[in-house]
Parts: sequence; C-alpha cells; structure tokens
Amino acid sequence: MRLCSKYIDKALFYVLVIFFPIILYLVFVWSPIEKVMGPAQKIFYFHVGCAWVAFLAFFIVGIYSVWSLIRPNINSFITAGVSAEIGVLFTSIALVTGMIWGKTSWNTWWSWEPRLVTTGILWFIYVAYLFIRKMDGPWQKISKLSSVFGIVGCLNVPIVFMATRWWNTKLHPIVFGEGKNETGGGLDPEMLLTLVFSLLTITLLYVFLMRKGVEIERMRMVVKNCKNEIMNKLTIRED
Amino acid sequence: MFYLFLAYSTIWAAIAAYIAILGRRQKELKKELNELKQWCSEDYFQVR
Amino acid sequence: MISVIRDALIIAGKDIVSELKSKQTVGMMVIFSILVIMIFSFAFDPVDRIIRNVIPGLIWVITIFSGILGLNRSFVSEFENSCLSGLRLAPVDPVSIYLGKAAANFIFVSIVQLFSVPLLFILFDYKLKGSFIWLLAIIFVGTFGFIIIGTFLAGLAANAKNSEMLLPLLLLPLLSPLVIAAVQATRVVIENESFGEAISWIRLMAGYDLLFTAVCILLFEYILEDT
Repeated sequence: MRLCSKYIDKALFYVLVIFFPIILYLVFVWSPIEKVMGPAQKIFYFHVGCAWVAFLAFFIVGIYSVWSLIRPNINSFITAGVSAEIGVLFTSIALVTGMIWGKTSWNTWWSWEPRLVTTGILWFIYVAYLFIRKMDGPWQKISKLSSVFGIVGCLNVPIVFMATRWWNTKLHPIVFGEGKNETGGGLDPEMLLTLVFSLLTITLLYVFLMRKGVEIERMRMVVKNCKNEIMNKLTIRED
Repeated sequence: MFYLFLAYSTIWAAIAAYIAILGRRQKELKKELNELKQWCSEDYFQVR
Repeated sequence: MISVIRDALIIAGKDIVSELKSKQTVGMMVIFSILVIMIFSFAFDPVDRIIRNVIPGLIWVITIFSGILGLNRSFVSEFENSCLSGLRLAPVDPVSIYLGKAAANFIFVSIVQLFSVPLLFILFDYKLKGSFIWLLAIIFVGTFGFIIIGTFLAGLAANAKNSEMLLPLLLLPLLSPLVIAAVQATRVVIENESFGEAISWIRLMAGYDLLFTAVCILLFEYILEDT
C-alpha cells in the first residue's frame, strides 16, 4: 500500500512535468488569438481551470466534513484541511486572474458579476474555515466545529451564486441558461481542446498538491504524538 | 499583452509560494524528527 | 417534539428575564444602532439625495452590526460560572438550547429594530411609499434568517478564545445572499407601491431560512457536544 502510493506520487509528478510544457505550448502558441480581446484572452484557460479547482476543492471539503461528522477520524480531518488550504490558493489565483481579465476586457478591476462575487465569497468562507481550524483544542473538537462550518459554507455557495445572479439581472430570476464562459457562447474547437487540457492539468496539480499536503500533515501529527510520548516518558523518568 | 504577463506571473508565483510553504513544513518536520532522534538516543538520557 | 419546544421556550424565557434584569445587551445594541445611523449620516451627507438610496441597505447594516453585538454575548455570557456546562447537563435536547437562544436573540434584535428603523425614517425624513405590512414581512423573514445562522455560528465561535472577532468573520460571508435579497426586497417595497418584484426575493429568503433552520437544527448537537 505504501509502496503503491509512492509510485502514484512519482507518476503524478512525471505526468505533471510532461503536461506543463504541453499546456503552456497549447495556451501560448497553438491556440488561436481571440479577435476581440486579443492575447489577453489567454488568461482564460488558467483562470477557468483555477476557478474550477477552487470549487472542486470546496466540494471535497464539504464531503469530508460530512464524512468526519459521521465517522470521526484523523484522516478525513487532515484531508479536509489540506483541501481548504489548496482551495484558498486556487481561489486567490482565480480572483486575481479574473480581476486582471476584467481589467482588459471590461476596463474595471472588479465588476459585480455573479461568478466573480461568488468566488470572492468562497474565498472568505475558506479563510473563515481555516480560522476555525486554527483554534486550540484537541483535534476531535476542532474537527467537529470545522466540519459543521464546512457543511454550512458548502450549502451557502450555490445560494450566493443564485442571489448574485438575480441581483445582477435585477429582473426575474434566471437559474439556468447562458454559456459557461464569457467569450460569448461558441468556442473554437482548438480553444476548447486547450481549455479541457488545462482543466485536466490543473486538476492533476490539485491532486498532486493534495497528496503531498496530506502526507506532510499526517507526518506532523505522527511527530507531534511521538513528541508527546517522549515528553511523558521523560517526565516519568525525572520523577 | 502586459496583462497576460501579469496574470501568468501571479499564477506561477502563487503556486510556487504554496509549494514553498509545503517545503518549509517538511523542513520543520525534518528538524523536529532529528531533535526527537537525539532525545531518544540513550546517552541523552544518561547525560540528564 | 412538544417537549423540545417547551424547553426552548423556558430557555428563551430565562434569557429574557436575565436581560430584563440587567437591560445591558439590548440597551447597548439600541445605542450602537443609533450611533451607526449617526456615523452613516456623517459619511453620506444627509441633505443629499444619495442617502435615500442607501436607506434600504442601512436598515440591514444596522440590524446586522448591532445584532452581532448581541449574538456575541448570547453564548459567551453563559461561560460565567460555567452555565453552559449546566445547560448541557440539564436533561434537555441540544436543539432546544439552540432554539431557545435563537428565540431570545430574535426578540432582542426585534426590539432594537423597533427603535432604530423608525428613527432612521424620522432622521432622514423618509416616507414609506409601499405597504407597511410587506415591509414588516420582509424584515421578519430577513431577521429570522440572520438570527438562525447567527445563533448557530455564535455557538460555534464561543468555543474559541477570540470569539468576538471570529463571529463576524464567520457570519458575514454566510449572510451575503440573505443581505442581497433582503436589501433588494426592502428597496422594492420602500420605493414602489407595487411589490411584485419583491416576491421572488422573499422566496429566496424563505428558502434560505428553511434550509438553514433545518441544517442548523441537525448540526447543533455537534457544536455543543464537548469542550
């Protein structure tokens, strides 16, 4: 089992090493330049990828939160935490690139556009979640509290999206419809391929970072436990 | 073009920063492990 | 089920009686909300027309900011003489502790609104154009959602040492859809005589309230379980 996970890590690393040059080539050289927005449109590929991973990471936080409430164990606690951390990373990237893209195409740094606002709120929820995890106390208690918040936050995200969407249209609600991206519906097949590939690469990057992060956190736990044990032994000897 | 450059440099900077944080954690862990090893070695107890 | 509600009413009664004795929390909340109105009128020139546009939002800003003050107290005050442990040890469902606290908080915030919202209208010489009943309904639904999620998170944050700082941080992002909906609905009702557009916002708020009431009732026992 341990050996297997080691190989998975290695394989992931090499796949990423191969994929990143490819994706960079696809984004910067191969994919056509958009007519209206020019080269700045190339932000789009990574922006969408990062935003997708941000929401995926939060979804995973939610799942592990539910799971750790049903069956409290340290692994799901750690996984949820690392997923939230990486989620903050990707949400920040999505926000910053979204702002830069907004600057180029709408000439404002921040437009109160539903997806952007939802991502912003998501960022705040993530940060609040991490603050809860920074509380002091035994991990069982923190696990419970943070899981509860994770579930509530996860439920909140779609509502934020709906609310901001209604708010923006200021008319009757549209819940579904409208294209996925801002490029105005039809995507060039080459662009679509690049997009799909970048989504795949960034998701793999997420998986890789997750595995590394979880491993490090687990080792931290082990070291902490060992330290406590040794401390106990030392105090007993001194007595 | 400038904005494109800006966007991608922030992306790489952020990912690199996270990896750096992970690396720092690992380093701290290593240090702590070494400390623990030192503690566990028998002479440490004898010296005390 | 009936016993849960009865216990909840008893706990709410306890909170209200202790509040009637001290009159501290509600008094401070009222004063604070008036101060917020003052500060806002300094920030936006009250003679100007702009202030009229921010009044719907101002109602909710007052409610939320003064409400957070009260929510902070509702669980932290129980730590004195470890009353919370006593509550937990009492043969009541955790749900009834939650509902009781929420009911008491709801009454406190409603009292604050009773003072601050009319004052807002008086100070800015604002005339209500829409129907009064609908405004009340919107304020009721919005405040209900705020208290439901606020009491829940206050219980959560009370576990931390810096709970006063943690609570707004947890609460405000979760409140954002409710605030959007409440402000929009209030604006529609205050400014127009028809309230057709407000209905979809009220529906959103009602959905939010129902969802989070169910979720908070389900999850509250995990918050109180042990310290």
